[in-house]
Amino acid sequence: MHAAWALGVGVGLHAAGSRHVVLVPDNPLAHVIRVLADRHPDVRLTIATREEEAFGIAAGLYLGGARPTVMLQSSGLGNSINALASLLVPYRIPALIVISLRGDAGEWNAAQVPMGRAVPAICDAIGVARASVESGDLAAEVVAREGEAAFRTGLPRACLLPRRVTAPPAEVS
Amino acid sequence: MTRFEATRHVVATAGDAAIIASLGHPAYDLFAAADRDANFYTWGSMGLASSVGLGLAMAQPSRRVIVLDGDGSLLMNLGSLATIGWTRPAHLVVLVWDNAQYATTGGQDSATAHGADLEAAARAMNIAASVTVRTPAELDAALARTRVERGPWVIVAKVDESLPTMKPPLDYVFIRRRFMAAMGTEAGATREPA
Repeated sequence: MHAAWALGVGVGLHAAGSRHVVLVPDNPLAHVIRVLADRHPDVRLTIATREEEAFGIAAGLYLGGARPTVMLQSSGLGNSINALASLLVPYRIPALIVISLRGDAGEWNAAQVPMGRAVPAICDAIGVARASVESGDLAAEVVAREGEAAFRTGLPRACLLPRRVTAPPAEVS
Repeated sequence: MTRFEATRHVVATAGDAAIIASLGHPAYDLFAAADRDANFYTWGSMGLASSVGLGLAMAQPSRRVIVLDGDGSLLMNLGSLATIGWTRPAHLVVLVWDNAQYATTGGQDSATAHGADLEAAARAMNIAASVTVRTPAELDAALARTRVERGPWVIVAKVDESLPTMKPPLDYVFIRRRFMAAMGTEAGATREPA
């Protein structure tokens, strides 16, 4: 049984034409990995050692004609800033970015709070447009829309997945 | 063997291969050796040249992809070797210009001046086709093998520093669009809605 938000991310990135997902996994994104394996076997998954590396691979995929998606946790955005700011943005290389947020409502780990809180400000500071997925039912629409916009405008765009969507209280253990 | 001399050997036999150059001296020397449409010059994102090459190789399985990296740059992204060793694109060639220094920034020692072995690192990350070359003849022989034997390849070329004489254009969108035109992929971002 897949969560609605994870199904939506899969449908959305597929609808945006993405057949390559590069990621560093986290617990919520593990649901998306299962969705892709079950529902979208034509999507190739590549696990990178570090989020910055994932953006480098995504840039190469785009140069080669693909529409790349990068999935990461908010902590990994800190590892990715220079890749976005000195490669994707100035060269106008788009990517659909899916960020699983930590540090927002329901967080229990103080080490996740500063980077989680900084995600919107960092995106704004380096010129990466962002949209929040406010409920699981909206995930497909938001992810597809942001991905399509990214690939049409030639710039990376981020979809933010809040904890209240990816880890509702009933599922937290 | 200077890096510029070695770069000229690479482009002389590159054919229509894509060449991704790490920022600084590797990119400057590539531009000076031959400014080809299929050259992609990075001006930032230190460490990511091999990752860009990997992504390109994944998207274009029939095109040779050559990465010109530096020892300092590869040391910044050693995890890339693990991902290349996992995904194993057979037509990816990562050349590492190993001058044992951060030459672009004034010649500070890199770890390869103090025992780090990038060929061994590549082997340890499941890239069996890894060699170290020290002369133009050895480089030519290794490049010839990359055209007939399956990769991925990592060629660590021990080079002397040579002061670059030219720099590629600073128009990043021009670099990217020209490169994508050479790859046959330029239309991707600019298509109108159907």
